Amino acid sequence: MAQQTERIFVLPGDQINPSVIPSHPKRPLKLGPGLRHIPPSELLPTVAGQLVTDYKKNSIWVEYNGGRYIPAVGDLVIGTVARSVVDYYYVTLSDYTSNAALPQLAFEMATKKTRPQLNPGALVYARVTLANRHMDPELECVSATSGKAEGLGPLNGGMLYDISLGMARRLLMRKSVEEGKVVVLEELGSAGLAFETAVGRNGKMWVNSESTKTVLLVGRAVQETDEKNLDAEQQKKLVRKLVKEMS
Amino acid sequence: MTVTTEPEALLSYLQKADGSATFSYAGYTVIGAVNGPIEVQRRDELPEEAAVDVIVRPAAGVGGTRERHLESLIQSTLRQIILVNNFPRTLIQVVLQVTVAPENDYANAKVAQANLNLPILPALLQTAVLSLLSAALPLRATLASTALAILPEHGDRRIISSPTGRQIEQSQSFHVFAFTSHDELILAESEGSFSMKEWDDALAAAQGTCYPPTTTGDTDVLMDDDKLVGSDLKHFTRSTMEQKTASDLYWK
Amino acid sequence: MPREAEPSLNERAFVVQALQEGLRLDGRAFDQFRGLDLKFGDHYGVADVTLGKTRVLANVSAEVTAPYIDRPFDGIFTITTELSPMASPAFEVNRPTETEVLLSRLLEKTVRRSNALDTESLCLIAGQKCWSIRVDLHVLSHDGNLIDGSCLAVVAALRHFRRPDTSIEGETLTVYTPAEREPVPLSWLHSPFCITFSFYGEEGEIMLLDATLLEEQLRVSSCIISLNKHGEICQIAKLGGTPVEAVSLIQCASAALTKGKELSTLLDQKLAEDSKRRDKGGLLAELSAENER
Repeated sequence: MAQQTERIFVLPGDQINPSVIPSHPKRPLKLGPGLRHIPPSELLPTVAGQLVTDYKKNSIWVEYNGGRYIPAVGDLVIGTVARSVVDYYYVTLSDYTSNAALPQLAFEMATKKTRPQLNPGALVYARVTLANRHMDPELECVSATSGKAEGLGPLNGGMLYDISLGMARRLLMRKSVEEGKVVVLEELGSAGLAFETAVGRNGKMWVNSESTKTVLLVGRAVQETDEKNLDAEQQKKLVRKLVKEMS
Repeated sequence: MTVTTEPEALLSYLQKADGSATFSYAGYTVIGAVNGPIEVQRRDELPEEAAVDVIVRPAAGVGGTRERHLESLIQSTLRQIILVNNFPRTLIQVVLQVTVAPENDYANAKVAQANLNLPILPALLQTAVLSLLSAALPLRATLASTALAILPEHGDRRIISSPTGRQIEQSQSFHVFAFTSHDELILAESEGSFSMKEWDDALAAAQGTCYPPTTTGDTDVLMDDDKLVGSDLKHFTRSTMEQKTASDLYWK
Repeated sequence: MPREAEPSLNERAFVVQALQEGLRLDGRAFDQFRGLDLKFGDHYGVADVTLGKTRVLANVSAEVTAPYIDRPFDGIFTITTELSPMASPAFEVNRPTETEVLLSRLLEKTVRRSNALDTESLCLIAGQKCWSIRVDLHVLSHDGNLIDGSCLAVVAALRHFRRPDTSIEGETLTVYTPAEREPVPLSWLHSPFCITFSFYGEEGEIMLLDATLLEEQLRVSSCIISLNKHGEICQIAKLGGTPVEAVSLIQCASAALTKGKELSTLLDQKLAEDSKRRDKGGLLAELSAENER
C-alpha cells in the first residue's frame, strides 16, 4: 500500500508538487486514472479527487468516486446482451452508451457448434480486451492464455444490483477487507448465509443464492453500505440487523 | 441593499444522473445534471471529439431565444475546459434547470426579466462546472464566473459585484466574466455603454472575486486564510469538492 | 438516440419470483410508499417532492392576459410537463415520449378537469382581463411513480402559491407588487391526488403501490385512480395491459382512499409548517390586516 502521509486533494488543472511524484530509478512511472501527461514533463490532474502514489510500483493516480464507467483493458465487467449478430454478441455495459462486442467464440471450449446461445437480456461476466477512445470496447469470457473461463461466462439466475464505481472497485480489490474496508460480504457469509456474487467494474453486482430472501438481503446490505458510506463497524451492525429482520 | 449571500452547493444528489449539483448564489438557484459520455445521435456526431450539449430550462415557461443564447454561450465555454478529445463520437449532456430566480418586489415578474439574459450566466456556469466535477469528467481546468454592474454615482462610477436585480436596472453597463483556474479569461460578455477603462476596471474587479491575486502554488496555506473565503469562488469550488472527495473516500 | 436500457432477463425473473414470495426488492410492504418528502421553496408556489429516488419540482406563475373568447368569465389555467434529459437522457427536448404524454394527460384530468382550481375566480374584467395561472412541472430524477409524485407536487405548489393582489376601479385594473400589498392565495376547491397501482402475475393478482422504475418496467398492467380525501373519484385510468378482476379494482379504490387521505394530511401539515415558518413574529398577520383597511 502507498505510504500516504497526508491527503493531497487536487482539482483539474492543479499543479502537482514534483516531490510527490514517485521517481523509481529503473521502473518507468505509471500513470493511473485522472491524470494527464503533457509532453515533455508536465503532469496535470483531470478530475477532482485525492492524489495517491505507490512508491513500490512507481505509480501515481487520482482516487475518486462517481461518474460513468469508462472501459479499460483488463476490467471485469457485467454486461447485458443487447442483440446477437453472426459472430458477435453486442453487450450493454452501462445505460445509453454504445455496446461492447463479445465474440461468440470467446467462451471456454467454444467452437462453432458448442458456443453458448445467449438471448437478448442475458447477463455475462466478462473481461475487457480492447478499449480505446476511437473504437467500441471488446470483451472476452475466456482467458486467452489458459483457455479457461476463470469464472467468466454467462450468469444464470440471481439478481443484478447497481452500485457506485467506487464500491465496485473496493469489492474487486485483492484485499477488499484490509484495503477497501468492506466487510459486509464476509459478515454475511459468517452469518451463515450461502450466496455467490460477481462484481463488475462497471458498477454492477450480481448476487445468486438458493433462497430469494438471501439474495435480497445481500443486495440491500451492499447497496446500503455504498449509499450511506458505512464504515466497518456500521457494516457489521447493519448485517446483524438485516439478518435479524429476515429470520 | 445587497443579497450577496454565501454561495451554497450540494453535489451528486440526483442519483440517476452521472453527476449533479445544485448551486445557489446571489438569489439564483440552479440544478445541474451531467450525463456522459453517452451515445450520440448521428447528426451530432463529431469524429474527433465529444459533442457537448447544453440545455438551459427556465423555472417558469418554456425556453425561448433567451435560453438558446445562454446555451450557446455556456456550450462554447465548457468546450474549452472539457477534454473533448478523450471521448470522440460521444455526447456529454449538461442540463441546467433554473429553480429560483431573484424576484423583484418592486415590479411584477414577467416584465422585469424579459430583456435580461446575462445576470443568470455566472450561476449557470458555476453549476455546470460543479456538475462536471461531480460526474468526474476529465477537465483541463475548472472555472469561476462572476457578474458586475457599473452604476452611476454622484457623477462618478461604482463597480458592484453580484448586483441585485434593482442595481442591474439602474446600471449603465453590466458585465459577466469567467476565468479558468489558470487565470485565463475564458468568457467576457457585456451589455450597456461603457468605456475601455471601465471595462478594464470591471475585469480587474472580477478577477479579484474569482481568483484573488495571491500565489496559486500552495493551496493549503490559502485555505487557512480567512479573508473572504465565502465570496471567493475558487476556494468555494475547491472546498466543496474536497468535502465530497473526503466523504466518498471515507474508507481510505 | 440513446434508448432506455431494458432490464435483463435475470432481473425480470427475479423480481417477479420475489413478488410471488411476497417480497419487494427494497423490503417494503406491497402497499407501502417510499420515503416521501415535500418541501416548499422560498418563493410562493414552488413545491419539491422527493419520493425515494424520484424527484419532481412544480413551479407556479401567474400573469394577466385576455381570456379565451368563448369563455369570457373564466381565467386560464395550464399545467405544463416537459420531461427534460435531466430525468433520463432518453427524453429529448421537444419530442414527447409516451410517459410524458400520459403524465400530462393525467394531471390535466385530475387537477384541471376536476375543477380543483376555481377558474371563475381568476376572471378580472369579463372578456377583457383575467389571470393566467401556469404550473411548470420539472422532473429532476425519474425512478418510477412519476404520476403520484407529480400530482402531489402540482397540488402542493398551487395551494402554496400566492398571486399579486388586484383592485378594479371602474375600468382600470391595478396589479399590486408584493411590496405594496401582500399577495393572495388562489381560490381552491378540493385537493385531488393520484394513486398508481401496478399489477403483477399472470392474472394481475399481485398489486403494488409506488412502484420503482424497475418494477414499473416489469408490471403487466397498471391502474391510476385520482380522488380527494372525501373519496370523490376524479378519474380512473386503466390503459391496456393484462385484464384485472373487477374485485381488485374495488380493492384499489379503497386502498387509494386510505392513501389519498394520508397524502392530504401530509400536505395540510406541510402547508401549516411552511406558513408558520414564514410568519415569524406575526409580521404577516399585521401586514394583511393593514391591507384590508
